[in-house]
Amino acid sequence: MLRPAPYETVLKPYGTALLDLARRRDDVVCLGADLTRQTETDLFRDSFPDRFFNAGMAEANLMGMAAGLARSGLRPFVNTFGVFATRRPYDQIAMSIAYPNLPVRLVGFMPGLSSPGGPSHQAIDDVALMRSLPNMTVIDVADAGEVSDVVEMIVDLEGPVYLRLKRGEIPVIFDEEYSLRLERATVLEPTGHIAIVASGMMLAPAIKAQQIARDSGVEAALVYVPVIKPLDRVGLLEAIGHSRGVVTAENHSVVGGLGSAVAEVMAEEGLGVPLRRIGVQDVFATAGSRPYLFKKFGLSSRRLAEAVWELSGASGPIPAFDEVTEEKPGIHEPV
Amino acid sequence: MSRDVEELSDVATRARITAVDMVGSVGLGYLGQVFSSAEILTALMGHYLEPGDRFVLSPSHYVTAMYAVAVELGQLERQLVSDYGRDGSPMETIGSELTPVVDFTCGSLAQGLSVGIGYALAGRLAGNRARTVVFGSDGEVEEGQTWEAAMFAAHHGLSDLTLTLDCNDSQVDGRVSSVTTIEPLADKWTAFGWTALEIDGHDLGQLFDALEAETDRPKVIVARTTPTAGLSAIEDLDDAHFMKVDEPLQSAMVDELAGRL
Repeated sequence: MLRPAPYETVLKPYGTALLDLARRRDDVVCLGADLTRQTETDLFRDSFPDRFFNAGMAEANLMGMAAGLARSGLRPFVNTFGVFATRRPYDQIAMSIAYPNLPVRLVGFMPGLSSPGGPSHQAIDDVALMRSLPNMTVIDVADAGEVSDVVEMIVDLEGPVYLRLKRGEIPVIFDEEYSLRLERATVLEPTGHIAIVASGMMLAPAIKAQQIARDSGVEAALVYVPVIKPLDRVGLLEAIGHSRGVVTAENHSVVGGLGSAVAEVMAEEGLGVPLRRIGVQDVFATAGSRPYLFKKFGLSSRRLAEAVWELSGASGPIPAFDEVTEEKPGIHEPV
Repeated sequence: MSRDVEELSDVATRARITAVDMVGSVGLGYLGQVFSSAEILTALMGHYLEPGDRFVLSPSHYVTAMYAVAVELGQLERQLVSDYGRDGSPMETIGSELTPVVDFTCGSLAQGLSVGIGYALAGRLAGNRARTVVFGSDGEVEEGQTWEAAMFAAHHGLSDLTLTLDCNDSQVDGRVSSVTTIEPLADKWTAFGWTALEIDGHDLGQLFDALEAETDRPKVIVARTTPTAGLSAIEDLDDAHFMKVDEPLQSAMVDELAGRL
């Protein structure tokens, strides 16, 4: 199911998939806020200018317009950076979109520390904000093939959707055997004393950490959770229900995202085992390149492997392994 | 659905009476909004709006006025009046998704115009000439979203979009004009690319003319109103936004209004 790292990448799978969808569905409309090329929607705009609406830098109005279009029977895809798609127009999303349960698809680009732009452009709280809204589905996929599939999968989903997407080059992590299912988490490695639970851009580091731990003699289960809400409790429990410790991996604050969602399930199910939430540790980050930020703020294979190592009860520091320190164009390899 | 001014004037007055009884039954509520908007809503719901048109109530605190006008126009069953504000009833005191009569309500203020723009864009895409009316209030222009929406609508020439603005100079902390300066309102909208018509919002004839005025731009009707409806029983009231209505006040207001019929 998994391809070996380093991963090949695909350029702009979202923009291409949305265009394909628009060719088949004339009820799909595309909205944005002065970030057209940056959200890969120049492809849509150039082919279907009548169905493309640029709100300018006015996200409050953007969300209200999407609500009106949705209630008129259309399927709006609203594209901007994750910070501007969630933080800035939160009340408008809550009251004009989530409460009336309208089929608006919010697509937030540059999740977590994938943006070099510092705190103003780093969506470290978008999952938390969207997860807290009733009716909202929250998706954080990892793989280029999934990005293509998810666009088709969400178009007819009931209610609003928040889809957070890395932009530009997206790794191909899965082979043809894998298919995304919105209602199911995917158990990639079923056995192990420790369980790793990963979403989005932290899947690749989680795969690597699982391998590092195994090479060092610690078996870890690995479950991939592309849909954070509604969470597949059954699938999650299959993977973590018998573990002695759980490690979550998310490109997001550890407050309110995947780590919190898993903690809620563990507490409610009475799983009395330790949990380590790997992610942005309740701090605002800084500007910097993606490898630099992921390493500095602990979103790394090393940090995950160390957490697995620690929970396993193994003594001493984790054995040495090869670490990736820089990004090369055209391929993706996690730090 | 055109009716004459005299008949609809009585509808507005009877709607005020019905609203006083509704708010009186729960002891307090958004009554000043009913008094200021009765003619605007009567003109829209009893005269201007046609099947297929979309109607957005932006300040949902006005929903009491909508209930009352709808009841007096026969668009809502009168027996629902007794459910007003009761636990478990859809006749909520701030409009919601449960609310009958409107297409979209927005209790968090100034969100309605954007939704109306969405309706207007959808109508344009579908190639129909359905009209979209957004009912808004003067206090809502304090929210930045209003002006985001204003710029967009004018840029896209949404001439099927009308905003009626109930300018009753009332918000929670007192007179709008004492909180911040929103004037000159008509000039502001004109500068944003809209057709702005300033009228007496209690004059049905002026309301009809303004609603029917042709324009190739989005249109705003700056309707000047008063939240006391000229009632002597409340002429010295400081807080018209959220009114306490005890039984003597309820009777006094109903008697005075009934005298106008």
